[in-house]
Amino acid sequence: MPRALWSGTLSFGLVNVPVRLHSAVRDHDLHFHQLHEKDGARIETRRFCEKEDAEVPWEEIGHGYERKDGTLVVLTDEELAAVAPRRTRTIEIGAFVDVADIDPILYDHPYFLVPAGEAEGVRRAYKLLVEVMRDRDQAALGRFVLRTKEHLVAVRVRDGLLSLTTMRFHDEVRPTKGIDTGGRKPPKKQLDQAVKLVEALSTDWDPERYEDRYRKRLQQVVRRKRQGKTIKPPEKETAPEPASDLMEALERSLAEVRGERSGVAAD
Amino acid sequence: MAPRSLWNGTVMLGLMAVPVKVHTATESKTVRFHEVHLKDGSRIQHRRFCTQEDVEVPYEEVVKGYELSSGEHVILEKDELKAAAGDRAHVIEIEDCVCADDIDPVFFDKTYHLGAGDEGGQAYRLLHDALEKTQRAAIGRFTFHDREYVVAIRALDGVLALHTLRFADEIVDGRKLDVSLPRKKPGRKELQLAQRLVETLHGPFKPERHRDEYRKAVLKAIEAKAKGKEIEAPDEEEPEAPDDLLAALEASL
Repeated sequence: MPRALWSGTLSFGLVNVPVRLHSAVRDHDLHFHQLHEKDGARIETRRFCEKEDAEVPWEEIGHGYERKDGTLVVLTDEELAAVAPRRTRTIEIGAFVDVADIDPILYDHPYFLVPAGEAEGVRRAYKLLVEVMRDRDQAALGRFVLRTKEHLVAVRVRDGLLSLTTMRFHDEVRPTKGIDTGGRKPPKKQLDQAVKLVEALSTDWDPERYEDRYRKRLQQVVRRKRQGKTIKPPEKETAPEPASDLMEALERSLAEVRGERSGVAAD
Repeated sequence: MAPRSLWNGTVMLGLMAVPVKVHTATESKTVRFHEVHLKDGSRIQHRRFCTQEDVEVPYEEVVKGYELSSGEHVILEKDELKAAAGDRAHVIEIEDCVCADDIDPVFFDKTYHLGAGDEGGQAYRLLHDALEKTQRAAIGRFTFHDREYVVAIRALDGVLALHTLRFADEIVDGRKLDVSLPRKKPGRKELQLAQRLVETLHGPFKPERHRDEYRKAVLKAIEAKAKGKEIEAPDEEEPEAPDDLLAALEASL
């Protein structure tokens, strides 16, 4: 197993379970280096003082915060560390809520929590938490500090383990005020037809159906370039015209989708 | 005032074109700092240097290189990178509709709001109402900043929300992690006590009740520093793992 990103204690009432944190997401992105076009050498970033026009070593850099009146307040690493919340090694469960009540807009990064160490007591306490949360669609809410930021987190059971997802705070979600929500309520006939179309397109959620085509194409671009082939940029697409008759567009779509999907089923 | 849009294009539900605008739906409120030279309080600049020539390099002379296992780089021009984006830069075609609740939270990445595009009000309303009524999420591909994403579009608080989704092979399978748990189920008494504790702590989710205390503490420290006060570190205390699970549960209740 890869190295843990964090280790600490999950605390549930007076039950404390030592745990380690691992990412639940794998990075498959292709990563690039910045190179100097002329000689193909790697580019490195150096930090310069704007005033002195001289390179600055890492130890001489502080954190500047610009206040509303334009004045700059500078904190050192030590001062910033001093503000780090108390008990940085504990995730304290304060409440349990229904998973269905948490809107996905709040979810940020998913992790797994695994028991730390081999001690039988730790494993039993961990297992108890899994068992008690497994069959209720509930999440435990808590807070924890990763690096320097405090996160609100939801802990629930996935794949028989405790999974932890960091969440955005409520005020980090933008209000929908001002967003153009379109015209008047559609006539019943139109809505019925649109509902039929949505239903005709419906299928079970299966994440395996959707592969990362971008990643594949990028790998192909790299391969072609390596072989000295030319790479054509994508063609400009023409924007689809808004339908002048929504009802007609829906009816034609429905006929088409039903034709296709029944064709698939008959194969 | 309408918020600025990041992307303008069309959602295609079958042959029905729905012109839309994409707006940001979330913003990080983490306190941001600039890098500053401690000695004179002036701003730090990042400058690019060629490691071979040891001279500063203007941005126009920087290219992206993909490193092969041999250590050599395959260089790609900015235009060539665009080729991987595909050719549907401004169209999101709905491929499937699924039950919105069936998508595990682990798949959700970033969220945007969709607003109605020009001349698209009626079609937008229709798509919104149909997805709301059926509680479905529409799955399609969204090309943003030269990269293609799989997205779920659903009705949320009267508007359409667009979530970029993680791909199945990016999700770690917990069953393949090396974790050995005791085979024995917890004792009945332990389980009952734990269940009672969960029930006692169970309540409705009120996101507005959870505030970012760290953000507040950092802003407070900044104000203290501005007034010339000293910033002190709080003491830490660490809890201990329980010796007696049952006793700990009973004491919690």
